[in-house]
Amino acid sequence: MQDPMTLEKAAWDLPVRVTGFSGVGDSERARLAGMGLHVGETVVKLLAAPLGDPIECLVGQQLLALDKSLVARIRVEAA
Amino acid sequence: MTPAAAATAPARARRRVVALAGRPNTGKTTLFNALTGLRQRTANYAGCTVEKAVGTLAVDGREIEVVDLPGTFSLLPSTEDERVAFHFLSQAAAAGDDLLVLCVVEASNLANDLSLAAGLIEAGYPAAVAVNMIDEARQNGVSVDTAALGRTLRVPVLAVSARHGEGLPELRELLAGHGRAAAAPRDLSREAKHALQERQMRAVERAHEACAASVRLPRRALLPTIARSIRLDRVFLHPVAGPLLLLATMFALFQALFAGAQPLMDGLTGGLDAAAAALRAALPPGLFASLVCDGVVPGVAAVFVFVPQIAILFTLIGFLEQSGYLPRAAALVDRALRPFGLDGRVFIPFLSGFACAIPGVMAARTIPSEKRRIVAVMLTPLMTCSARLPVYTLLISAFVPASFRPWGFNGQGVAMTGLYLFAVVCALALALVLKNTPLYEKDPMPAALLPPYRLPQPKELARYVGTRCWHFLSRAGQVIFVVSIALWLLAAFPRRAPVAGESAAVAAAAQVEQSALGRAGRLIEPVFRPLGWDWRLSVASLSALAAREVFVGTLGTLYALEGSPEDGGLAAALRDAREPDGSPRYTLATALGLLMFFAVALQCISTIATVRRELGSWRWALGQFAAYFALAYALAFAAYRVAS
Repeated sequence: MQDPMTLEKAAWDLPVRVTGFSGVGDSERARLAGMGLHVGETVVKLLAAPLGDPIECLVGQQLLALDKSLVARIRVEAA
Repeated sequence: MTPAAAATAPARARRRVVALAGRPNTGKTTLFNALTGLRQRTANYAGCTVEKAVGTLAVDGREIEVVDLPGTFSLLPSTEDERVAFHFLSQAAAAGDDLLVLCVVEASNLANDLSLAAGLIEAGYPAAVAVNMIDEARQNGVSVDTAALGRTLRVPVLAVSARHGEGLPELRELLAGHGRAAAAPRDLSREAKHALQERQMRAVERAHEACAASVRLPRRALLPTIARSIRLDRVFLHPVAGPLLLLATMFALFQALFAGAQPLMDGLTGGLDAAAAALRAALPPGLFASLVCDGVVPGVAAVFVFVPQIAILFTLIGFLEQSGYLPRAAALVDRALRPFGLDGRVFIPFLSGFACAIPGVMAARTIPSEKRRIVAVMLTPLMTCSARLPVYTLLISAFVPASFRPWGFNGQGVAMTGLYLFAVVCALALALVLKNTPLYEKDPMPAALLPPYRLPQPKELARYVGTRCWHFLSRAGQVIFVVSIALWLLAAFPRRAPVAGESAAVAAAAQVEQSALGRAGRLIEPVFRPLGWDWRLSVASLSALAAREVFVGTLGTLYALEGSPEDGGLAAALRDAREPDGSPRYTLATALGLLMFFAVALQCISTIATVRRELGSWRWALGQFAAYFALAYALAFAAYRVAS
């Protein structure tokens, strides 16, 4: 089976859609949803901070700084 | 009482309380200020000691209490701020107040902001929604159908602009209107975790549905405010320009703090000295005059002179905060702090700590992990706060010779820079130690909001600075007032009969030496003898437990130099002090030990009280004090031994 596409592997500046999370607990998932990051939302990977982490993303109509470790756990598909 | 007044009396018995709830950066505080104007005060939340902003709003002669709740992202509290907000809501509901939750949302980010409102409405809270920054949304090309939104959410919805006053008259009327006599809302703080998670997910869904039906976004996918922020972030987070700009910002901040504040502080000191002199001349000589002129006035003045520095610091930090730069700075340093078990969020407490540990410790509230917050509160007091400056300046100018010029640099400046670096190194080293304790938590919250860049409004900034200065003055002022009276009493009694022919300075020194303070100093001298301190340094360090800068004042009194306008006099006196056998009383080694001690020891009653309040227990506060005292003692001992 092919590895699922993650936000980490997604191209920069191209919109993708969140399809799910791997290894993210329920309460963390609910909190991320509160910040605007949830299944179905459109995400654009914009730029990495100077040391490569965190990564600034456009999530819906707002900007979030996401840890690299989280970015690797977000499953996405082309939007 | 008129019949009309009697008729309204039962209605007044149930107090109308409006709580402003919303995510951070929705303009909640701006709206709070616009609604309540100057009719504000701070109070403590029931059940805990975190401060809240409370104001009153008068509509048609009716007084409404308005509370500005801390910023909240979701129904699952993860920061101290969020816990406080939910605790308040359940308390207010239980107390039977006529509660109305005014959910403040940003018009350009409705889909995300509305989830909190949707969750609270579903939990049965009587609510209304203020769609804020409607002017910015219009510029963004976003249009919001508030009537449709109100129908979907089944609560009143109003579009407002807190900055420009748009929609505020209607909002005031809405807040005064009769609230629904709703069934008791659910106490969210007692709900099971999985129930809250489901509630949260439902709320997110409902917010999106409500938005889809009532918000029209511009044809272009990217809002202009967001597009501008991304362009700025490509500069501020650039691999080369980003760190350079952060360094430049910090440099400018410290320059303004020390160079900019100096003339103001000097002017203030001069004014206060003149006032004290005038007071001394006006009062009949005696104990009362001494209490006022040697005890209270110098003590209070010592605090007062720091106001310009605090004001400058908070103007700059407030500017950085309101412009949206601080979360970017946190993102910049995040990766570099990870190996130490810290993350970017400790940057703001640490930065504030360079002015004063108290706002720094309070800034840790927004850290979304209890353990990480405790770590930040533990380490912030190590940052070189402005109260350490007078002590460092005195000791360096007394014991680092002006002829000391390493690599051609000014040696005294190098020593000062070294002390600042030492504080940071010390904090990082201790962070490494804490990383190996149960206080360490791996990557607590992996997402942070980067709000759009906005130009701070002068009015909001002035209000922010004014409130912070007033807090500093009232809180620190009370402590110093009491301590300076206590110190004076200890130094003034028991009285000593003057000896004929001795000079006033000698008499003053002899009085202090045989006073309760002097005796206490001799009593504790053996404790500090291993550090090379005599009873005078011991007393001065002990009195500096109240506030570090008191060290300089106490030494001044002890060396009978009080009232001497410049430090040079006291520095020279310390340098030239001789033991009866002619050997110097203090050496460079003594000074090094003292500097180490002051760099680490938590000598600040206000900070200890703030830590106790923020962490809710004396155990943390006293444990921190004891640990830093032990570490300071050990470092001072080592420095003294190695150098001598």
